[in-house]
Amino acid sequence: MPFSVHTSHRAILLLPAGLYVVLVLLCAVWPALRLKAEEARTPRPPHDALVERGRAVYRSFNCVTCHTQQVRGYEAKAFDLEGRRVVPVFTADARFGTDAASTAREYDWQDPPLLGTQRTGPDLLGVGLRLPGAQWHYWHLYAPRSVSPDSLMPPHAFLFTKDHPPPAEAMDYDEVVPIEGLGLEPGERLWATPDAKALVEYLLSLKREALGGTR
Amino acid sequence: MKIPVGIPIFIAAAGTDPRFAKLVSRYLVSAGLWLLVASAVGLLEAFRLVHPDLLADSAALTFGRLRPVHVMTVLFGWASMALVGLSFYVVAKSAWLPMHKPMGRAEMTWANVALWLWNLGVAWGIGALMSGDVNSGREYREYPWYCMAPIFAAVAIVGVIFYRLIARRAVAGIYISCWFILAACFWVAVTVFMGYQPWFTTGLADRVIDGFYIHNAVGMWFTPLAVGITYYALPKLLNKPIYSYALGVLGFFTHLIFYTVIGTHHYLGSPLPDWLEAVAVIFSVAMIVPVWSSTGNFLMTMRGERLAISHSYSLPFLVVGTVCYGLASLQGSAQALPAVQEALHFTHYTVGHAHFAAYGFVTFLVWGAIYGLVPRITGREPPVMLVGLHFWLALAGMAIYVVGLCSGGHVQGASWGEGRPFTESVRDVMPYMVWRAVGGVLMASSHVIFFVALWKMRPGAFTMAFGAQGGR
Ligand code: HEC
Ligand code: HEM
Repeated sequence: MPFSVHTSHRAILLLPAGLYVVLVLLCAVWPALRLKAEEARTPRPPHDALVERGRAVYRSFNCVTCHTQQVRGYEAKAFDLEGRRVVPVFTADARFGTDAASTAREYDWQDPPLLGTQRTGPDLLGVGLRLPGAQWHYWHLYAPRSVSPDSLMPPHAFLFTKDHPPPAEAMDYDEVVPIEGLGLEPGERLWATPDAKALVEYLLSLKREALGGTR
Repeated sequence: MKIPVGIPIFIAAAGTDPRFAKLVSRYLVSAGLWLLVASAVGLLEAFRLVHPDLLADSAALTFGRLRPVHVMTVLFGWASMALVGLSFYVVAKSAWLPMHKPMGRAEMTWANVALWLWNLGVAWGIGALMSGDVNSGREYREYPWYCMAPIFAAVAIVGVIFYRLIARRAVAGIYISCWFILAACFWVAVTVFMGYQPWFTTGLADRVIDGFYIHNAVGMWFTPLAVGITYYALPKLLNKPIYSYALGVLGFFTHLIFYTVIGTHHYLGSPLPDWLEAVAVIFSVAMIVPVWSSTGNFLMTMRGERLAISHSYSLPFLVVGTVCYGLASLQGSAQALPAVQEALHFTHYTVGHAHFAAYGFVTFLVWGAIYGLVPRITGREPPVMLVGLHFWLALAGMAIYVVGLCSGGHVQGASWGEGRPFTESVRDVMPYMVWRAVGGVLMASSHVIFFVALWKMRPGAFTMAFGAQGGR
């Protein structure tokens, strides 16, 4: 029987399979290899255990489902760390405390880069510059509507405790300054657990300093 | 007048191997159960986007973790298992295998092993996600690798079985349905492998793979399976040949070539290579060719069959599925245009589009094929009242959901484009979140009705008694 897709089951398996593999090599593997080679030229950033733990917490609660870390722009790739050319940012993205579109180098060695696909909440790339106080983040994580009345963000109160932390570990906890809206009884105290502390440390590290990204 | 389904069902089903009927039914009932689980979770998430404090005390139930539970369960529990269950029947029939023994003993055993591997993967995946073991930032593959591994194995087993069935066919020609189904099994295996390979996990290399994966896990698996099944179910239920076989072949190859290369349209304006973005935009528009060769083919086949469609309880689902395939894909081509994407990417419009496609297209076609084909295996028809109720609730719910979110997306996009404060857009979008919840309630109630109808179609005394004997 001739090798025809209409009559040969071998042909109708191999032809679409082969074509697919070729296209995958061309449009996924090859560009990925090139980007990996580019990345390899940047040194790995210094290890910061607390920030990394915070990033793990951020991933564990899947905050990326509502928050992007990506400022889109035209010709973003024409801009690099040395070249000072500023790339026009998409108007929709211009409000997030950064004046430059995201570049390839910003994401080097992130596993994975958390660019995100949906902005139910604002972009967080410059959040460490925009909101530099840890206490604000504690309030916001514990009860988002205490600081942002129309927020749709879910509370993450389970990252906090009302029990006095054991003295040996007190260093790893942060006491939260009580404000109205947290729903605390008079005299009640609230601590950020080590996970919450690390998470906020991670949020505060999102500054894009390398790009001089200021408000 | 043609009666697409009805009395002949009894005769059509006679002679079907009861173990085969049970196998298909097990896949479908598993899928149906996952649909119920996923709907409950989806509904909770929809309510939370109106009232964020709902059930917020538990880390396991937090919004961020339950969202992938919903998405992964509908994709890998509901849609995948339902499509594969139907594919067994479609492959066996279009290979003209004798229905009293379409599959050998060993094949039957392996098909059941695959079924349980599949259920295991989905159940384990839900547990992993809720316990915080989230492969976060990698959409549609949030399961840790060890939960995806059983599903991968199941796909491999099922793919081998389909290949063997097709190789044993009793006709010379291989029908187009088999092309789509067999290829989908191979394509998804490669795609999932790429999604979990250990070499490209950092920096932008990871994002190239991500664009590829998000896109192809959907369009090189659900789409070809749903289209392949429709190529069998639609002509069968209308009792006439497909309008144009050549259009099917054109659709198959253009889908393969155009669809594979456009994953980067999820990352326009990002620092990914320009040429990848350009290729993605161009071929996203070119997708009109494969989409409309299938959609047009189905619509032309339906032409002049108003009466048959209005007398059938399964065909209306196929009509909605076909129309949604065409329209959701047009919407997708438009969304890939840079100017449109600048305004609408990151908004709720995307979720509207996702449900237009995954729900309006894939899920409706699955329902149509289930109602149309399952009685031909089990000899039992669902109560027509229930099916009608299911249809109208699902259709109304989906319309409210999709129109609501696509409008809400425009409100967000306009607000952002004008540079207004972000929280203003959060406030402005609230009415649309309410509409989504309303649509969601209708959809979820239709799923309960669907499950009851599915249960009424499961193999019963008739299937057992007449099944094996009739074929002698
Ligand atoms: C349901 C979607 C959703 C999830 C999940 C979510 N957020 Fe938010 N987030 C929002 C919304 C909406 C806002 C804007 C209103 C506000 O400030 O609360 C926001 C605002 C923020 C802000 C303030 C940003 C700014 O510039 O004002 C930070 C920081 C933040 N979220 C961090 C997180 C972290 C960390 C997580 C995961 C633990 C998370 N979010 C999960 C929706 C979400
Ligand atoms: C009971 C009916 C359903 C409801 C109430 C519902 C609700 C939701 C919600 C709330 C989200 C998250 C949106 C967000 O984060 O803003 C979502 C996402 C999603 N749902 Fe559903 N859903 C339902 C049924 C389905 C079905 C049956 C499918 C597919 C077969 C499906 C496919 C998806 C997909 C693919 C996403 C992810 C979208 C994206 O990637 O942006 N849903 N759904």
